[in-house]
Amino acid sequence: MDYNGVWTLGEARDGEIKEVSFELLSRGRKLADKLDEELVSLVIGDGITDQQAEELIKSGADKVLLMNAPALKDFIVENYSNVIEDLIEEYKPEIILAAATTMGRTVMPYIAIKTDAGLTADCTELDIEEDTGNLLQTRPAIGGNILATIKTPNHRPQMATVRPHSTKAAEKDESRTGEIVHLKFDSSLLDGRVKKLGFRKNEEDAVNIQDADVVAAGGKGLKKGENFALIRELAGYFEGAVGASRDAVDRDWISYPYQVGLSGKTVTPKLYFAVGISGAIQHLAGMKTSENIIAINEDPDADIFKVSDFGIVGDLFEIVPELNKQLAEEVK
Amino acid sequence: MNIVIPIKQVPETSNVKMDEETGTMKRDGVESIINPLDLYAIETGIQLKEEYGGKITVITMGPPSADKALKEAIAMGCDDGILLSGREFAGSDTWATSYALAEAIKEIEDVDLILAGERATDGDTGQVGPGIASWLDLTLSTYTSKVVDVNLIDEEVDYTTVKQDSIIVERMVEDGYEKLELPLPALLTVVKEISFPRLPTLRGKQRSRKVEIPQWNLENLDMNKEFLGLQGSPTRVVNIDHPKVTRGGTILDVREDGNVEEAVSQLIDYLKAKELV
Amino acid sequence: MKYNPVTEEILAELREIVGDKNVMTDEEKIEAYSHDEIPAEQYAHMPEVVLTPNTAEEIAAVMKLANRELIPVTPSGARSGLSGGAIPEHGGIVISVENMDEVVEIDYDNLMMVLEPGVITNNVNEMLEESGLFFAGYPMSVETCYLGGNIAENAGGGKAVKYGVTGRYVMGLEVVTPTGEIVQLGGKRVKDVTGYDLKQLIVGSEGTLGIVTKAIIKLLPKPTQRVGLLALFKDEATAISTVPKIMTEGRIIPTSIEFMDKLSVKTSCEYLNEHLPYQEAGAMLLIEVDGNKEDIVNADSETIGELCLDNDAIEVYVADNHTTRERIWSVRRNIAEAFKVVSPHQSLEDIVVPTANIPKLMPYLDDISEKYEIKVPCYGHAGDGNLHATLVKNPDHSMEEWFEIEEEALADLYQATKELGGTLSGEHGIGSKRKKYMEMMMSPAELNLMRGIKKAFDPNNIMNPGKIFDLE
Repeated sequence: MDYNGVWTLGEARDGEIKEVSFELLSRGRKLADKLDEELVSLVIGDGITDQQAEELIKSGADKVLLMNAPALKDFIVENYSNVIEDLIEEYKPEIILAAATTMGRTVMPYIAIKTDAGLTADCTELDIEEDTGNLLQTRPAIGGNILATIKTPNHRPQMATVRPHSTKAAEKDESRTGEIVHLKFDSSLLDGRVKKLGFRKNEEDAVNIQDADVVAAGGKGLKKGENFALIRELAGYFEGAVGASRDAVDRDWISYPYQVGLSGKTVTPKLYFAVGISGAIQHLAGMKTSENIIAINEDPDADIFKVSDFGIVGDLFEIVPELNKQLAEEVK
Repeated sequence: MNIVIPIKQVPETSNVKMDEETGTMKRDGVESIINPLDLYAIETGIQLKEEYGGKITVITMGPPSADKALKEAIAMGCDDGILLSGREFAGSDTWATSYALAEAIKEIEDVDLILAGERATDGDTGQVGPGIASWLDLTLSTYTSKVVDVNLIDEEVDYTTVKQDSIIVERMVEDGYEKLELPLPALLTVVKEISFPRLPTLRGKQRSRKVEIPQWNLENLDMNKEFLGLQGSPTRVVNIDHPKVTRGGTILDVREDGNVEEAVSQLIDYLKAKELV
Repeated sequence: MKYNPVTEEILAELREIVGDKNVMTDEEKIEAYSHDEIPAEQYAHMPEVVLTPNTAEEIAAVMKLANRELIPVTPSGARSGLSGGAIPEHGGIVISVENMDEVVEIDYDNLMMVLEPGVITNNVNEMLEESGLFFAGYPMSVETCYLGGNIAENAGGGKAVKYGVTGRYVMGLEVVTPTGEIVQLGGKRVKDVTGYDLKQLIVGSEGTLGIVTKAIIKLLPKPTQRVGLLALFKDEATAISTVPKIMTEGRIIPTSIEFMDKLSVKTSCEYLNEHLPYQEAGAMLLIEVDGNKEDIVNADSETIGELCLDNDAIEVYVADNHTTRERIWSVRRNIAEAFKVVSPHQSLEDIVVPTANIPKLMPYLDDISEKYEIKVPCYGHAGDGNLHATLVKNPDHSMEEWFEIEEEALADLYQATKELGGTLSGEHGIGSKRKKYMEMMMSPAELNLMRGIKKAFDPNNIMNPGKIFDLE
């Protein structure tokens, strides 16, 4: 198979390259080094400057394939996949990594079908198999209760999406050099069927919980929606995000984008507070890989304590206000 | 408007206990249910049918017993079910699964819309929905959180401004909601925010018992055998690990002694030690 | 009667009997034994010492000592009770059976199991999971309550329509009597008329006649199929009138027939954000059938569903898998929780009336609600007439006002119950909470018979004194 090189699919919005693009390079660098191949960052969008592309090189890319075109300003899966398929055809990369974001998890399966490629979703670990050079992709399944390692022996490229924030972007190395290739957009690749009519940004306090370093989540134990004020205050001391268990979302105390767990979002922050959350398997699936887990719950037998690094058994309506009080003093 | 809804039967895992020694799930007597996230697709489909008419076909790939999931969907208000079942499908990854489902959907007449759950709670890939769209070259909206409007050409009204059937949706992305217009036929994968699934009624259950579920496979469907099952799947599972969950952290119980202040101050110390404050 | 305090000398003797580590006097630790699940603090009472013995012999020795010294002894399980049954009303010694949690024997040949009283009821069924058997003594507190307390209260719960209450499954008991004898009552015998049935006297005696130290329970084959129906009716009367028809016309005994009035349904649905068309419904029935053949269970549920529709049900939902069953049961299970959000102070009652009289109770509840300006939701086990009419404190009332209202409103509630041929408690027991209403319900002759039995067992009245009725 004459496929060569490790690609990462960068993401940009409004001409700005997103953080996940740099994280992917850390993953890709390790693989490219093991294979002794080139690490390429492909970025599609509009108005992305060379200066920004340089940042990708400083973070580990050997080459940046940059495609700017007004028609590619917005992510429309049909257009992006046409472009990427065309590039795959031309460059034949061996591995393509994308972030397991709403974009990555949309465009990658669309492309995988068209290019007969194997695709593994939401990987947490990637490695190269010693003898064969195959990509080993490890991902949690069945609510995180198993870790499956998957490979694609006979198909190229090997494609994987990688859980955002499952790795850190490398320190920028100012001395690194690389090539920026400006790709010309072939307008015949424009699909043109789907129109983007608009964009509505989340309300102010809705920090993207998957981006946050600290998440304070509340559950059924809060008893009513208004009591999320306690959680908001707690998150505020860390400039973190608010999360919620499925019970809280189902009761309409807070909206779905905040839901952590199997039917919501997976988060891996540095610090996760689970307040009044019993820790159903579904919830644990969404947060148990957080670096530090703090649980506050009335029930000493709650499963959340099994995965927590620090837990307080007791009445959250006494504990959280006290915690907020002591944090307020710390912040001062 | 004719709608197809691919669904998946999954093990019910909310009450499953973990075997703490081996780290595996205790799966004895675990019931099979419709993938919870598919229920939102089913509800959305039924609401669209109630407003625009047409027919809903639910389709699943699985063992013969998966017809139960189809019947449940019919009891909720879907019309027909198709079961893709046969040894040739065994071991399919998302690539092969979406191929087989796409081939089956091709056999259904006049499909305007395909609705799928965002992902299944067991495999958790979310790849089959987009995969089907790709096989069928349909327009795609993933993470759809709202159907804003449906524009259908009304053949009886010739002054209509609608040139092509289309659907306007919102899809939930990391920092907000995108509004898209997709020409039909299209495929939407939906998130929980889109609807509130109804319960099956007695009348629905009675109707579903009468519905015959045809079983489709290589014998009656023209498919490329090379693309099916394990041999059609580009990916291979080479290892399964059971990660241990338990962390064995510090647990302070303040229920009896009531010393909340002290416990919280220990927590602050912990956070400081970890440089989190 | 005047009881004696637990002195240092007596403590030393107790330590001798049960061992140092099984004697607790630390106030912070024993506080937990001063109350059960009744939220109101006025029913709480501190023990002087809490013992956690390991054997019947130890308990017998403690009882002998307590008789000699006239010190009250209160048995205690998981304290999930709702009547104050395990509260040491007169202080003294609390004997907690928490250490006695062994499964002595699972006897598959006789379909029986021998257990110590500290086993959590739910664990019994978890142990039996793979055997295809189960224990049908199944209160709603199944996840916390101990078998001992379950037997002492003769607990009921949501499956009593078909399976009856716990007492039905108690085949034999080892009991330490108030005078410190260890007696074996009943045994692994399905039939037994050899003398009085003392074991059934112990069942439901609320720990006033002895401490159960071992129990032989009967097991049943576990049904593999369950189908739930949620039927919405326009009012309570229509809903309740359907209940007898299920058995007469349908010829089916369901596992559960749970009833929820409009207020309960509305509060629970709002709390859960459940999107059922509950606004239209004046009452709901949750009916469950179980069995081993899918076809039969489906057919039964269909028959019942049709009966409901014939009886003007607005809609009947069918739940035959985990997802949907959870959804309909969670409406029922979260009623108490939902009202706690409205007000944490409530008096959860478990009156029981002849099933057909349930609708007649409703106007009385409306009157009570109006008179005292409190919410009085009513839900519970319609299949057996056992209802959780609950008085919920009006958040605008002060605690003092509430205590007054609670007492008067309870008297009104029980009076209404009595008029309808009902009684105080179907499954929670009398304990200390409902004692003052016993005379309203029972004739002096009946109460005197009970007092006579109590005296025969416990001449010094040291066993859980102050419960059910006063001796003098």
